[in-house]
Order: sequence, then structure tokens, then C-alpha cells
Amino acid sequence: MVQRGSLKLLCGLAFIASCVSGQWLNYPTPGIPRLPDGKPNLAAPVPKAADGKPDLSGVWRIALGPYTLNTTNDLKPGDVQPWAEALAEQRRENLGKDSPAAHCLPFGPLFTFDPINPQKIVQTPNLIVILGEQLMYRQIFLDGRSLPADPNPDFMGYSVGHWEGDTLVVTTAGYNDRTWLGRGYPNTESLRTVERFHRGDFGHLEIAETFDDPGAYTRPWTVKVTGNLMPDSDLLEYVCNENNKDLPHLIGKASDLKGVEVAPEILAKYAGVYAGTLPSGLVVRFEIFPSGSELWASLNGGAKRLLTALSNTKFVLPQLEFLEENGEIVALQYSDVGANARLPRVRENR
Amino acid sequence: MTKSPQRGSWKALCCLALVASCASGKWLNYSTPGIPRLPDGKPNLSAPAPRTAYDKPDLSGMWEMKGRPGETSLLGQLPGPAESANIASALQQGLPYQPEAAQLLRARRAEQRVNDPLTRCLPIGPVRIHTFNSPKKIVQTPGLVVILSEYNAGYRQIFTDGRSLPLDPNPSWNGYSSGRWEGDVLVVESSGFREGLWLDNTGNPLTDAARMTERFRRVNVGQLEIDLTVDDPKAYTKPWTVTLTQRLVVDTELLDYVCLENEKDTQHFVAK
Repeated sequence: MVQRGSLKLLCGLAFIASCVSGQWLNYPTPGIPRLPDGKPNLAAPVPKAADGKPDLSGVWRIALGPYTLNTTNDLKPGDVQPWAEALAEQRRENLGKDSPAAHCLPFGPLFTFDPINPQKIVQTPNLIVILGEQLMYRQIFLDGRSLPADPNPDFMGYSVGHWEGDTLVVTTAGYNDRTWLGRGYPNTESLRTVERFHRGDFGHLEIAETFDDPGAYTRPWTVKVTGNLMPDSDLLEYVCNENNKDLPHLIGKASDLKGVEVAPEILAKYAGVYAGTLPSGLVVRFEIFPSGSELWASLNGGAKRLLTALSNTKFVLPQLEFLEENGEIVALQYSDVGANARLPRVRENR
Repeated sequence: MTKSPQRGSWKALCCLALVASCASGKWLNYSTPGIPRLPDGKPNLSAPAPRTAYDKPDLSGMWEMKGRPGETSLLGQLPGPAESANIASALQQGLPYQPEAAQLLRARRAEQRVNDPLTRCLPIGPVRIHTFNSPKKIVQTPGLVVILSEYNAGYRQIFTDGRSLPLDPNPSWNGYSSGRWEGDVLVVESSGFREGLWLDNTGNPLTDAARMTERFRRVNVGQLEIDLTVDDPKAYTKPWTVTLTQRLVVDTELLDYVCLENEKDTQHFVAK
């Protein structure tokens, strides 16, 4: 079974990127402007639909970044209501074992922020359907209807959209309260989101999404991600609960993890940037920040996370090991479910 | 937490169990745009089939299987077409089983559907999307037809951009489907199924050797006929064909049915 990867254990920084193969994935996508060498011209102008609107159709993959399956990175302590902060804290202590992803339930609002499973936009004048690889879809109605006054709460909510110039503006309400917005942060049924989709050129789709949930937060906030077109490919089925063996192993607490002390002068040697490309094509860039007897890491510009030392060279989470050659730290070995890559140290002029 | 309305859960249908909660919610009454209507506002279901801008029949819309009456149990008649219980219910001779398939069918019956993908909240495959007892939605574009199902908010893609079936497909629950127009009939060929698919609640199998042909014909606004031919030499001694007639469902919308949500059934599947 070919899969792009499982996202079930995405409690922390974990992510997966397995290799994609299979003959039919190489079928050339029709209607793509091409360069003389046959490669897709991703900088070509935005295609237009028959009704003159920008055509957002295509298979898209969200770029890895600080908002990967996490929309809450920019929240400050006062932005979250105390009950929601306490709940998020408790979920992190439980290592995310109750997350919808761990139980193979739909991602809800995080559907848009999934960098592993591509999404396919199918656009018609009155309806846009977004298909996910987890055999899961959402509908966006463009026929002028208003949001329902009394929606049926569900994972993906009820979405209506309209065009403002070349931007598709989608308002969604009617979410249930079972989804997570990232790092264990909850939403209530009061959540309302506004997404602004703008196809900048043939190969790129900018998405800005505003979250407004007065039931759990004190202010709305907005996150931006970019979708990259995946030409000459298509969706694969990913069935999360097929032969699922994970759940019994989701045990333990964050506080169970006891680290060791590492001397500050050793940690200081690790400072810097380590970057490389995973087999799936995802570009990964870790920035490492020593601070006294602590070591912090940021993945692709995301929030800094405190690492726990297992030895002088091995740290979690995710699993990182600093590799030394001739007394120099030359690379970072990054291991995660389905991902194992040596990320060379980037020499930067500072 | 608000209780989600659902059209009904099918997971525990091994025995007599049956849930059918009431669908409510104001938005389900939103009037479907573009439907020809009678003077009293009711949809004119016998109006001619609509056509697309590229002059093919437009199969778009919400559809529900209109079949022969469903299974009968001690509780009375179960909802859903007979074909959801037995895909061959209209075939007097039954299905031409290979010996292995007949044996597999007996084994599946003996264990009371405990490993039915539907019981396990797994995908139900393209045939059961047609016969499942809840609406589905066809979204038609020139190069792609998508069928959205309420079950697990799942879907199936049918490419209509002229591509042929892959020689070495990735075995999958939905297989790989490619369609072309023959006059006003959309002819869809599919292969690349994974092992272990069920065509119905009885457990009639579909194997990885299967090749399936569906002929979609929109008779009028209100009716869609699907002639389904299964050519699966590993399970059946010769190809067989059934007609799965669908009727248009208007002024409503799909509801998500997420089978795994608060799933408590599986642990109780203990008896033989």
C-alpha cells in the first residue's frame, strides 16, 4: 500500500513523510502550461474558469511551516480563556492521545493546515469541493446562500463563499467542539472562520484564515499558509483506521520524561541551523538555540520548543542527534515516524 | 456538546440493530438551485435531463438509490434498497460464484459481518456508495466527476479527461476509474481494487482482479440509471450486470456521518 504518511501521532513536532511511487501518479495533469523542457510553468498566469473567476482547481500541498497542523502559534497568554488554556495544558501532558488525529477522526479546521496529505480543489461556479487524501471532503457553497442560523455541528462546518475581486472569501460556521486547533487548543461551537484564498500564480495558492471563537479566546487571530501546486500527480487513498495498531501504545505523560543534565559548554556547540530535504520532498530546517543549561529548537520558523536531553548528543522531541566529525558538529540526525534524515549544518555568515 | 443529527448508523446492522435518528437543522431545507419546478414549486422530476455547457448530460445532483424493498427482519422492513443487502437481489439465478468465492461468502456470513468494512468504519468502495442508504452527490466537471458520500464523508473520483486505466495501479478501496461519453451515456471503467472489498451486506466479494464497468444514464431530471457490470474472474465464473436506479434528492444537503465518532460497537462483536 502506497501512502504519503500517517498523521496520527502528530502530537508534537512529529511528522512523517514516506515515499510515493506508483505508475499512475505520473499521469501528466492536463491543462498545465509547460516550459520548453516539458516541466510545468508554475510562474504562469492564473487560469480562469469559464465564468471568468480565477480557477483554483488542482492538487495542492501546504508548505511546511510554523502553522503546520497548528494555528495557535501566535497566541499570547491573554488571548486564551483560562479554561481553554488549562485544557490545552492537560492535553499536552497526555501527549495528545485524545486528539482527533490519533483516533482517525476528521481534522476539522486543521484540514487546511495539513502539509502531508495534499488537497484537491474541484471548482464549479456554484460549488467548490475540496478533497483530502484521508477520503474526506468539504463543500463550499457559492450559490449565494447564507450561513444557516442553526447549523448541524460537525467536524468540517458549513461553508459559504463569494468572490471579492480575485480572492475567494469563505466563511464557515457550524463546527463541532471535538476538533483541535493545534497544541491541544480547543474550539467551541461558536467558532467561525474566514478563509481568503488567492491564487498568486499558476503554482501558488495563498490562504489566510481568521479564527474567531469567543467561547474559548479573547480575540480573533489570523494565520497564513501557502499551497504549492502538485502537478502530474493525484490524491492517494489514506485510510487512517486501516490496520490501526497505535491506540494501545498511546500511553504515558509528558512529565514522565526525565532528561539528563548537559553542560552548557557542550550545548553551546550545537547553536545554528541544520537543513535538508526529506525523501518526500519536504524541506526541513531546524534552528537550534542553546540557553544556559537548556536547548531550544524551532522547526521551519515555528515556535521554539524546549528539548529534553537523553544524553550529551541525543534530544527529544522530536528525536534529534547531533553528529560530530573531527571535533566539529556537522549535522543533525532527525528521526520521526516515517522520517529519518541527516540534516547538514548550514554555514551561515553572521 | 450538541447531538449530531444523522440519517442513521449502519455499523451494527449485523443483526437487527438499527438506528435512525431524525435529520433536522434549518439549512437542510435550502432550496436546490437550478431545478425545474412545477407551478406549485415542487421539482419537475420528469423534465428532460439537464445538459452542461459542453453539451453532455449533467449528472450533477444529490441521488439516492431507488431499489427493490429492503431486507425484512423481525423488526419489519429495514430501510435501504434490497441491493444494499444483496447486490444480486434482482438476479434470479444469483451470482456465478467461483468455489473460493462461495466459500468466502459462507465464512463471512458465519462470522456475522464482524469483518465487514462497514462494520469496521473502513471505506465501503464504489458499489456500496451507490447502494448505501443515504444520499450521495455527483459533482460533474469536464475532466472529472466526483461522487461525495455521507458515509465517513468519503468520496470517489472518476477521471473523464481521456486517460486510460493504469497498468500497475495502487490497490485501493475505490479503485481507479476512468470514464468517457458514448452519446448520452457516461461509461466508466474501473480497476485497481484492493483485496477484501464487500459489494453488499451479504459479503459478496470483489477481488483485486476485478474490472468494473458502469454505464450512467440520466433518464430525466429525477432519475439516474446505473448499469453495473462486474468482471471478476477470481470471484465469478462470468461477468454479471445489475441496474442500480437512483432518484434525485432535492432541497436538502449531505450530512456527515463519521462512523468512528464515539464508536462503541466493535468491542461487543463476540458471538458466532
